[in-house]
Amino acid sequence: MQRSRCVPITVPELGSDRATFSLWHVRAGDRVTEGDRIAELLIPGAVFDVSAPATGVLAARTAQPNDPLAAGQVIGEIQEE
Amino acid sequence: MTAGQEQPDYAPPRPLSAYLLGGLPFDALLALQRRLVYDISGDRDTAALVLCDHPTGITVGREGSAAHVRPNPDVLAAREWPVNWVARGGGAVLHVPGQVACYPVLALDALNLTAGRYVSELVLAACDLCREFGVEAAPDPERPGARANGRRVAHVGVAVRDGVTSFGLVVNATPDLAPFRDVRCDGDPLPMTSLARESAHRVRVTTVRQLLLELIVKRFGFDRVSVFHTHPAALPPPTRHAIPHGS
Repeated sequence: MQRSRCVPITVPELGSDRATFSLWHVRAGDRVTEGDRIAELLIPGAVFDVSAPATGVLAARTAQPNDPLAAGQVIGEIQEE
Repeated sequence: MTAGQEQPDYAPPRPLSAYLLGGLPFDALLALQRRLVYDISGDRDTAALVLCDHPTGITVGREGSAAHVRPNPDVLAAREWPVNWVARGGGAVLHVPGQVACYPVLALDALNLTAGRYVSELVLAACDLCREFGVEAAPDPERPGARANGRRVAHVGVAVRDGVTSFGLVVNATPDLAPFRDVRCDGDPLPMTSLARESAHRVRVTTVRQLLLELIVKRFGFDRVSVFHTHPAALPPPTRHAIPHGS
């Protein structure tokens, strides 16, 4: 039987050293499709929407509002279907 | 970007559709912007720009707070100042006639820009605009925007969805500055200023709009610009050409 794998949701390069996590658009356990808006990040003067990197179920949310972020940091993971 | 450069290093030539719309209610802007973001998301080599001004009202971005708006809801309702909480960066902004609102809708990947660099470029465009009127303005390191003589003259607050930008820049051209006492724009405790207040030159909204268009075109490296003075919804639908026989 093929096992489903977890795909990490990472912070993209935002071009700012003052990035923070803003909010989640989905709850843990929600089904998401690749490309869906799932989270919002904040840098001074801009909000940046993070898209789902895979289709599946949001398995974990490791970032919370106002958490400081760095490029490449994992903020959650999707259990691929 | 260094002075004297004709084309910025990050931008290949792109076409831009610019909508110079004059007065536009904020709700109408939101609907238009949604449509443009959808269009540009599917055709990332193109870009759009809306230049307009809004009737008096307040928008509050993600970095804003109700505490930045002094009048209570009853007073705001009596003044007919709607408050829109919007998903953009930046804080509270009071929109009044005499400002120029600039909403670029660009695919950042097509321009090889990060969100942070894009915000910086918009701030620099605002500073360039001030310079055109003989006003020395500097980027605000704390809250993205431009300051002239220590007071804010332009605000930047953007959103990036699917790599496409929305919202943008608001410049105080010739507004009445008195209403700003009631709103701490972007949380700034100091009073606002305007180009008309700071400049020795005559400042007209139409001139500011035109110069801002030219500066955005130059800064982001667009080589073809189509200018519309009509809301896209009022434009005739594109002609559907028949497919030639035998093709």
